[in-house]
Amino acid sequence: MGWVTDSAPTRAELSACVQCGLCLPECPTFRLTGKETFSPRGRLMAMSAVADGVVQVDAAFEAIMDSCLQCRACEVVCPSLVPFGRAMEGARTELTAQLPSSQRKARHLVVGKVLASPALLRMATLGVKAGQKMRIGKLLPATLRSGFQGIRPIMPVAVEAGSTYPALGERIGRAGFLTGCVMDVWFSEVHAASIALLQRAGYDVVIPPAQTCCGALAAHDGDMKDARKLAQKNVVAFANVDVVVVDSAGCGAHMKEYENFTQDGEAFSKRVFDINELIAIAIGSGRIPTSATERGDVAVQDPCHLRHAQRIVDQPRSMLRAAGYNPVEIDPDGRCCGAAGIYSLLQPVLSQQLGAAKADQVRVSKAKVVASANPGCEMQLRSYLGSGYEVVHPVELLWRAVQEDDR
Amino acid sequence: MSSLQSTLSQYLADPSEVPGAAAEIICAPASLPDAAKVLEACSAAGASVVPWGSGSQQRVGGLVPADVILSTHRLNQIVDWQPDNMTVVVQGGVRAADLAERLAERHQTAVLAEIPGESTVGGLVATGASMYRRARYGPIRNRMLEATLATGDGRVVRGGGRVVKNVTGYDIPRLVAGSMGSLGLIGEVCLKLWPMGAAHATVRVDDPERAWATAYRPLAVLDINGSSFVYLGGTPAEVAGQSAQLGDVVSDQMLWPEPWIGSGDEVRLSMRVRPSDVADAVASLPSGWEYVAAYGVGEVSIGCPKVSLDELADLRRFAEARGGALVVLDGPTALYESFDPWGSPPSSLDLQRRIVARFDPDRIINRGRLPGGL
Amino acid sequence: MGLAEELVALVGADRVLVEPVDLYLYGTDASIDRGPVKNVVFPESTEEVAEIVKIANRYQVPVVPRGAGTGLSGGAIPIGSSLVVSLTRMNGIEDVDPINMTARVGPGVINLDLSKHTKALGVHYAPDPSSQSICTIGGNIANNSGGPHCLAEGTTVEHILELEMVTADGQVIVLGGQAPDPVGLDLRGVVVGSEGTMGIVTSAIVKLTPNPLATRTVLATFNTVEDAASAVSAIIARGIVPAALELMDKLMTVAVERFVGAGFDTEATATLLAEVTGHDSAVDAELEIVREVCELHDAKAVRVAVDEAERARLWLGRKSAFGAVAQMAPDYYLHDTVVPRTKLAEVMAKVYEIADRYDITMMNVFHAGDGNLHPLMAFDSTEPGMLDRVHAAAKELVEVCVAAGGALSGEHGVGIEKRDLMPLVFNEYDLDAQARLREAFDPDGLFNPGKTLPEGSRCFDFGRPVPEGVWV
Repeated sequence: MGWVTDSAPTRAELSACVQCGLCLPECPTFRLTGKETFSPRGRLMAMSAVADGVVQVDAAFEAIMDSCLQCRACEVVCPSLVPFGRAMEGARTELTAQLPSSQRKARHLVVGKVLASPALLRMATLGVKAGQKMRIGKLLPATLRSGFQGIRPIMPVAVEAGSTYPALGERIGRAGFLTGCVMDVWFSEVHAASIALLQRAGYDVVIPPAQTCCGALAAHDGDMKDARKLAQKNVVAFANVDVVVVDSAGCGAHMKEYENFTQDGEAFSKRVFDINELIAIAIGSGRIPTSATERGDVAVQDPCHLRHAQRIVDQPRSMLRAAGYNPVEIDPDGRCCGAAGIYSLLQPVLSQQLGAAKADQVRVSKAKVVASANPGCEMQLRSYLGSGYEVVHPVELLWRAVQEDDR
Repeated sequence: MSSLQSTLSQYLADPSEVPGAAAEIICAPASLPDAAKVLEACSAAGASVVPWGSGSQQRVGGLVPADVILSTHRLNQIVDWQPDNMTVVVQGGVRAADLAERLAERHQTAVLAEIPGESTVGGLVATGASMYRRARYGPIRNRMLEATLATGDGRVVRGGGRVVKNVTGYDIPRLVAGSMGSLGLIGEVCLKLWPMGAAHATVRVDDPERAWATAYRPLAVLDINGSSFVYLGGTPAEVAGQSAQLGDVVSDQMLWPEPWIGSGDEVRLSMRVRPSDVADAVASLPSGWEYVAAYGVGEVSIGCPKVSLDELADLRRFAEARGGALVVLDGPTALYESFDPWGSPPSSLDLQRRIVARFDPDRIINRGRLPGGL
Repeated sequence: MGLAEELVALVGADRVLVEPVDLYLYGTDASIDRGPVKNVVFPESTEEVAEIVKIANRYQVPVVPRGAGTGLSGGAIPIGSSLVVSLTRMNGIEDVDPINMTARVGPGVINLDLSKHTKALGVHYAPDPSSQSICTIGGNIANNSGGPHCLAEGTTVEHILELEMVTADGQVIVLGGQAPDPVGLDLRGVVVGSEGTMGIVTSAIVKLTPNPLATRTVLATFNTVEDAASAVSAIIARGIVPAALELMDKLMTVAVERFVGAGFDTEATATLLAEVTGHDSAVDAELEIVREVCELHDAKAVRVAVDEAERARLWLGRKSAFGAVAQMAPDYYLHDTVVPRTKLAEVMAKVYEIADRYDITMMNVFHAGDGNLHPLMAFDSTEPGMLDRVHAAAKELVEVCVAAGGALSGEHGVGIEKRDLMPLVFNEYDLDAQARLREAFDPDGLFNPGKTLPEGSRCFDFGRPVPEGVWV
């Protein structure tokens, strides 16, 4: 039957792979299993097999696709520049169309609809908050428990849609801030720090009220219809800002690729910046002060969608140094922590192995504070590290330092 | 034998041309196809054949009877020296000394025996004699680029090629090194060459183990009967810089130990152990024995005028317990009858037997010269 | 029970592949052919490998050992429905011995992982194929793999001290050891490079090499490939052995630079990447020789890498070259011939002439110091008539190299790809001898059949040569 949707992996995407295998060592799931069926090259070859009519989109094909973390570490080392992440989203779209399992449908309800609906999210949040109060984490099944335990205590929402936060000092532009879905209510401290630093950096920060979920989780799971809708909505919502600022690596990486989802996405993507990028520039130009106080070691965890998808590596380290911290490297290979969006729920065994390995890398570093610029990674690290460690977004550390030094 | 003698009449040599050779028939073919014809005739007649270079290593690893001695002294051409490619093709009967002298014209070396005496290229390859500079350049098998054999059943077979890097087919040339002629007469080989250093030094050191650990890529680190030396080669600056750090410069030449010539008078042994076991191996030798211990390599060459079977057995136990071997290189004929020259055969013995059978089905060349009576 | 069921009973369902799409992924490696796979099994111990071989013997199913599947000659591609034995999970590094400078490794250990593992001891595993970030030691052993730094250090075979191997009848034997010169025939050298046709290596003791005290990396650019090739020949002729001498032509440099951004000059017709290593007091002198020779051969520019980061980028570029080709065209085909180093310039001129004549994009990146060429044709196989042109050009390329006194393969292996070209360099007797050798290891021909030697190599089955003139 081959492919049935217009999002399927294209001939050009697939033939770009010459099967050299240089991606294999970077793939966390290949490293764990030693199997081609868990490797980028294998996944692309399986897609080619469908394209060539050799195999069908069946359960075995689905298993090969679903084990992918979509961390995109493979893309960094690919000398053929294969757009693997895009091809995988295409393959997942085909799975949605050809193997519409009830489980997948239920997932799409969450990633495509609930995350985009403030009202539904508020309900979910209330549930989590109540759960945290009642300490039900221990009662949950293992696959859900780790994720739940990684969630920050729910705080009052700090950022109101429609607000404007004026630039301090010389004004250099107007920044539209993505509050996101989960980040909005579950990570309000990170938002507060990001906005405060952006103000310092000379941006008028606005929170466009019409914005919605970025659509990354929907796209990763093959829910192309919702992903397109969400992208279109955001393109309109952020029409009147100079830059679109994102403080979640996964959302930023996705919004930088809106060209795959809406017609005017390419121009939009050029205006999208991760918070790390803008703040690092501001530090470099002196608009944000560099602290003279030494504050100790911080282990740096590179979210895949920051390091591999957006190729942002130096900036979070610059921020930490500016905050007076000593950034400690924990993983020269930048391997995925296993959170990977909803992967921890869908592939608990592999996710658990990767999460535990990442936590071990942190422990070896001796640092007690870990900086991670993505909510999923943060939750994963927190749950695998347990007590005794603080897991924060780098902007929080910098904002704290700036405030302390101001006093 | 007389009919074989007449079949081989056109290849016969006068015994005076081949000093030390004792056999009813002595042949000296002047080409590889001729050598193959000799072997084919011997195979058909079931005659045992011993290939013969200078005869200096005929007692290494076993004494075997010969109906026919196949001398390589007429296979003595340096066939193709490509100095700019750093390769040389030589016939097996070329004296190593002659080759070294020729290559020295362009400051190159095939890294064969340091003091070659009368030994031939074919003989050194057959016994796998890698000598002292292997610490730097590796064993002789690493320099075998191509080999042409006359097999026991009379075929001319070539493996490898005349280029420095090659995986075209199975590596027969490397297999030939140390094969004791069991795959065939080593008629012609192509060897990889190395540049000779512009400067050299022999440096006396107190602690050879430490010298091996600290010297940067020395040619050799030898303990010769209790006196230790580091041998250096390279650019003048490199040699001078290293010498000063290591010890006292004895000479700006290489003062290598004198080689031994097989005579049957004295027992000569080669003990092979892991490099880290060399010091212990030396310590295990009874006092008064001569030895040359190669640090970083793991070979101790031993000479002893008188030795008991118990002493030999102890040494062998010592070596084999360390994953090594004790090999008899020379000694009185009686010794070979009471003490296996090789010791325990390798776990691949059956496989080795099958391989040899495919090159020498009637098992006529150096029969019994390999471990396990092969 | 069938084959798959027996394998599952031995190692568990998690380590046996049976689904068609899963098997499809094991039908090829990094080369262009494809073959049928019956099952894939992932052993984790020598004992399991031995049992697997015995099971395969019972079913008379060919066994194809496989590492990371990065081979370029089809060595891991099954011919006839085969059992693929993937050794990726046998990846333990044990007994790193800093005194003897050795380590015991499983066949599935990734080449670069080993050097990373031993980095703190100041030693590394010297052979460095361009695929070293993923290729396995087992695969390296099968192919006697080379790499840029094999010029001075030698290829894989010089770095293997001991092999543990499962034979065709399921026995476990040990070849070689840490002591020098094992007694009897030294079978290590035959097994290394035997492309899985003689046994399955289950463990190896490898030699580790001290990191050089000093390293200088030089980038020289030239106006013609012939100038660069002449410079390489001249450097070798000057009697120094640099650690590496790598050459790239313009098209290749452009592709590589696009990926790596290492500062390669994309205008230069030829780029020479040279590295000298050694004692502090020697490298600068050698560096000067390299510089002087390059300038004598009309180098456009000679530049020395300023730091380790630049050196690493340049090497990353060099080692990504084959993958980068896909930017130019969807398909590529390359050879791996070796020529005497004195013939480099002459052969390279002919290589470009052939490509021009067949109107095929020719890119070159190769180990010039060894004379090891990798003429690479980039093309689109959907273009009508293209494949025929590529094959014809490839044949001429090989013939030119053989005529210059060269070899078919320097490091990629013969595999399927060059199997039928073997008669260009060996006569019937030579091939027969190789077939006999193989037969001694694998009498039933179940280990990776159809590789290395052309069909019918075993001409003389009765142990006697047929007299000349008898056959036509």
